[in-house]
Amino acid sequence: MTTSDGTIDLAESPRLRWRPYAVTAGRIALAILLLVAWKLGADAAGELYAADPIEVAQRIVADTLSGELIWNTYVTLRLSAIGFVLGCAAGIALPFLLRRSPRLTDAVEPYIMASVGIPKYALIPLFILWFGINDAPKLWLVGLLVFYVVFIAVFAGIRSVDRRLMNMARVLGASEAMISREVIWNSLLPFFFAALKIALPRAVSAAIIGEFLVGNEGLGFMIENARNNADTTGVFAGIVVATALVLVINGVLEAIDRRVNAWRPTDRHMEL
Amino acid sequence: MTAQPLLEVRGLSKRFAARAGRDPSPWVIQNLSFSVSEGEFLTIVGPSGSGKTTLLNMLAQIDVASGGEVRFQSRAAPVGDPKALNPGLSCQIGYVTQEDNLLPWRTTIENVLFPLRVQGRLNDATRARAEMLIRTVGLAGFQDHYPHELSGGMRKRASLIRTLVYDPPVILMDEPFGALDAQTRTHLQEDLLRLWNLGRKTIIFVTHDIAEAIALGDRTLVLSRAPAQIAGEHAITIPRPRDVRGILTHPAFAGLYERIRAQVQ
Repeated sequence: MTTSDGTIDLAESPRLRWRPYAVTAGRIALAILLLVAWKLGADAAGELYAADPIEVAQRIVADTLSGELIWNTYVTLRLSAIGFVLGCAAGIALPFLLRRSPRLTDAVEPYIMASVGIPKYALIPLFILWFGINDAPKLWLVGLLVFYVVFIAVFAGIRSVDRRLMNMARVLGASEAMISREVIWNSLLPFFFAALKIALPRAVSAAIIGEFLVGNEGLGFMIENARNNADTTGVFAGIVVATALVLVINGVLEAIDRRVNAWRPTDRHMEL
Repeated sequence: MTAQPLLEVRGLSKRFAARAGRDPSPWVIQNLSFSVSEGEFLTIVGPSGSGKTTLLNMLAQIDVASGGEVRFQSRAAPVGDPKALNPGLSCQIGYVTQEDNLLPWRTTIENVLFPLRVQGRLNDATRARAEMLIRTVGLAGFQDHYPHELSGGMRKRASLIRTLVYDPPVILMDEPFGALDAQTRTHLQEDLLRLWNLGRKTIIFVTHDIAEAIALGDRTLVLSRAPAQIAGEHAITIPRPRDVRGILTHPAFAGLYERIRAQVQ
């Protein structure tokens, strides 16, 4: 909108003022459109191939009330969480250890980078062979997937730390441990959160895939069991719940990210 | 001048390590010698690229010398091996760098208290001192702002008092006011002289501004173009306390300025 003196006045533009509401309305309309498309598609394909969204919703309510869904969600969440914590701890600790010895880093780095290329899901049979039919092979799978994402991000983050800040901290009397905690850790937080945004959904996916193959509980088992019984509605219900789980985890992560990185300049303060 | 200098530089040389497959890099500093006595305000002027920052980095033991020696209180700094360095010489040498190097995720007060915290000296007395310094340099009301919310001059002040707060006996300053406008710069020069008068620390102040070197220093060294050597040495006899704003009209100023300018090339 152009005012009389020829300048563009953003605050007064009615189009911009209504923009947030328009976006929300658009999103709701899109959601309704997708649900209608799902319903029409399900009706056309037949109930063996695509479940009816209303039946899926009813199934989710019924399984929630019976407690079965809550238990299975808890099992999957616990598995993802433990695997995530283990993989994440190793993914943070290893780059910090390697930092102490540049020579060891140079020696080890190509091997670590080569091992990134191993398809982790293909290792499940080996994990079952080595660790048996219990939670251990699933934890290894989740842990490994999380480890690589976190390791690569933290490793790159440590390399990108401003040397001048580190030298400044040394001159001011900070020990190496304090520099790690204060300067390096805070510098690599953006890298770390970027990694978490990939690693957390992956942890849940890996747990579900592990449950397809091993065990008799969890969302993965629930989906696989429904498929065995030609219960397409059950498969869809499992997928919807797993998706919702990932969305909730992402929401929590975003909130933590905003809190931790509150100091960061926003667009308003951006200096050019 | 006392007989035993606090800081002594003798035959100091520096060249950076050659990259693989290239000729060795040229000498940045070659055979540089000077000394600083306790309580002295030494200013060093030189053209850009004359190795001034490199010199201060070696004095602060952030960087290692390639040859010669640096002695602080008669103890020599390691030569050649970067791992043997002791940056800041156990908090005895403070360093106000060219960039403010504030921690961007810490507020002003947290940045100022940072050295006290890592040195384990955070108590009511040192906290009060930090508050006093913040007021002295006009940062009151900005304690809880992050560095990106401060102006360039405010960040400079914060980085200056971050070093003053833990009271190191020697302070190195690398063109700390270089990027500021004339008004702010004069303000900070006055702040610095006032703070120096309170404590009379040993200060080595690097600048490319000849007027600043004269206004602040007891003595001015002129560095030549790289490889840096001493091109001249001038005692600044203008009595203290000095008026930074009025120094340009002091009768001794013009002569000093001309003599130094003739040596800075």
